[in-house]
Amino acid sequence: MSLLRVCASTSIFRSTQGLFVESAFTGCLRTASGAAKDKEPLRKAKTPQGRFDMNDEKTKDPLEKFPDDVNPATKEHGGPRGPEPTRYGDWERKGRCVDF
Amino acid sequence: MAALSTASRVLAKKVLSAKALPAVSQSSRKLHFSVYGKNNSKVSDGISTQYPVVDHEFDAVVVGAGGAGLRAAFGLSEAGFNTACVTKLFPTRSHTVAAQGGINAALGNMEGDDWRWHFYDTVKGSDWLGDQDAIHYMTEQAPHAVVELENFGMPFSRTEDGKIYQRAFGGQSLKFGKGGQAHRCCCVADRTGHSLLHTLYGRSLRYDTSYFVEYFALDLLMEDGECKGVIALCMEDGSIHRFRSKNTVIATGGYGRTYFSCTSAHTSTGDGNAMVTRAGLPCQDLEFVQFHPTGIYGAGCLITEGCRGEGGILINSEGERFMERYAPNAKDLASRDVVSRSITIEIREGRGCGPEKDHAYLQLHHLPPQQLATRLPGISETAMIFAGVDVTKEPIPVLPTVHYNMGGIPTNYRGQVITHTPEEGDKVVPGLFACGEAACASVHGANRLGANSLLDLVVFGRACAHTIADICTPGEKLSPLKTNAGEESVANLDKLRFADGNMRTSEIRVNMQKTMQNHAAVFRTGKVLKEGCDKMDAVYQTLDDIKTFDRGIVWNTDLVETLELQNLMLNAVQTINSAEQRQESRGAHSREDFKDRMDELDYAKPLAGQVRKPFEEHWRKHTLSTVDPKTGKVTLKYRPVIDNSLDAEDCAAIPPAIRSY
Repeated sequence: MSLLRVCASTSIFRSTQGLFVESAFTGCLRTASGAAKDKEPLRKAKTPQGRFDMNDEKTKDPLEKFPDDVNPATKEHGGPRGPEPTRYGDWERKGRCVDF
Repeated sequence: MAALSTASRVLAKKVLSAKALPAVSQSSRKLHFSVYGKNNSKVSDGISTQYPVVDHEFDAVVVGAGGAGLRAAFGLSEAGFNTACVTKLFPTRSHTVAAQGGINAALGNMEGDDWRWHFYDTVKGSDWLGDQDAIHYMTEQAPHAVVELENFGMPFSRTEDGKIYQRAFGGQSLKFGKGGQAHRCCCVADRTGHSLLHTLYGRSLRYDTSYFVEYFALDLLMEDGECKGVIALCMEDGSIHRFRSKNTVIATGGYGRTYFSCTSAHTSTGDGNAMVTRAGLPCQDLEFVQFHPTGIYGAGCLITEGCRGEGGILINSEGERFMERYAPNAKDLASRDVVSRSITIEIREGRGCGPEKDHAYLQLHHLPPQQLATRLPGISETAMIFAGVDVTKEPIPVLPTVHYNMGGIPTNYRGQVITHTPEEGDKVVPGLFACGEAACASVHGANRLGANSLLDLVVFGRACAHTIADICTPGEKLSPLKTNAGEESVANLDKLRFADGNMRTSEIRVNMQKTMQNHAAVFRTGKVLKEGCDKMDAVYQTLDDIKTFDRGIVWNTDLVETLELQNLMLNAVQTINSAEQRQESRGAHSREDFKDRMDELDYAKPLAGQVRKPFEEHWRKHTLSTVDPKTGKVTLKYRPVIDNSLDAEDCAAIPPAIRSY
């Protein structure tokens, strides 16, 4: 009760006293008025925390693992995944050439 | 308050004793690295009182901890030498970790193979500029080296029988070029360099090598033409350390960062080459720099030729498919050097793309996205991460990019650094060795074959260790060294730390990189190179006007970057001056005004009746370049190529011929 009275009295001064007063009392005014739902939701800060929260599913590796790690065409155990890296004459991996 | 603190202390003691901490191992073996080398070091003020210098004594010092450095370091420790490994990066962060290709070795697991055929391929690939005794040594030792690595635990990929799987890569053939494609490249999935480095580091922990990690080597301590050690700056606390030893091995890597676009790490700054240059010794064949036509602008990652093979096209700022003009038949599928030169010519003539008009575009969005995804999986991620473009909508910015430096510190096949005089021939510099990309034992000559460079690292790292073990014994007394040895290095450090000119380190570096990219890249003509030499000289003089901002001594990265810039400059001036003087096209050094190779005999025609040209008139020789660090003036001398193999009966030397594939 006393809180509401404080807020109400300060609201008169809100326009005259400027923004710093408003920012200080915005929180309690909001909860008091209960009109939070029609304002836009607080956006999450672009901190690493926020980025990871938005992206839930793991990015799929475009190069698939062979069953048992054995290349079915060349019967290589433990070789590189995906298409043969040397098929274009250089060592290609995900579009990047690493050695030639 | 006091009672509380005493209570907590008592409590802490109780907890400690109660837990019965696991007993520290009772063996007498020390930890694998000693942070400050406290056992055999003493502080001296022989150089200056402002910079306390810590002196260490070792049997051998290895500068650099990449593939070659680690192999040399633990080879020496295994032989019983008290070894120090001084490195500016943690060993597993060296640039070797980025190598993916593989190691060539004539093991003969896929089909019958002979190391002499590998020898022939490497000699041919080097365009007959490689020293055949060093190539003989490397290819003969290759199977032993690979089997040794495999015994250390490196997880090569295997065939069904359990032997090492070898694939076709890097211009390897059977029966001296007449027997078809050879399968010689052994790899570890797609991370051979990473795995090699981790295997070697793990193996080196078995031996008592002292690692001095994040110590930046400033200079060699030379006295009477003999190398007596290294002086280094500890980046962590700013102290200067002198490592005195009878044997110093340099394995500091290449110097890709002299160019604007390169695939090397930011730490590839040619420190070893510069240290040797400042010591008054020559560097060899620095003009031979290997380029790739399509590296992503800014990032430096290479885009595979398969993109063009699958239908990608190169376009200039006018949207024209310019390869049609340079190679009407092959168009975008022309050979790598033609494509690199065409892109460079387009940029020089003002049709480059982007705000600075300094690159071309590789367009793939005209191809169906499904086809791209199946034939080149992962390219959309690569383009997005490194170029920030959506490959199905926008073209990728590309330009010719430096990948490898064939040149470096001249050594013989045993890893000893040599100088050359016309009267006496090759002369060994006592106490100094080099291996890896920093060295030029000249196995790669004018052009490096793929998958040979990892082999070069391990074979010559091992060779340095064996040579030192043959020549010296552990625990030998060190020859005396002047108490003020290394004072010029410290004076230079002090000068840079308090430098107060007008140009920042980054500005001078970018000027150097752009000059090198514009003038000493793929497109080389006399006029362009001469202009480049003059510009580089001007940039070199601006080093006197440098300004640094951090005056501290602890973790002063501004200072370290400036020291690296000094090293890069020395490499850059030697590269461009050597390129300007060499008037022929050989391997990676191709000139528009001298398109042919100039050997002592014309090997395109029958040899009978031809007159051998004298040494001064032909170009089948190594360039030896020295620089006066104060003025930046480059002096060039030449050294003949070694044409005989180590054992003429076992493996005949290959006489020069025209190189065509």
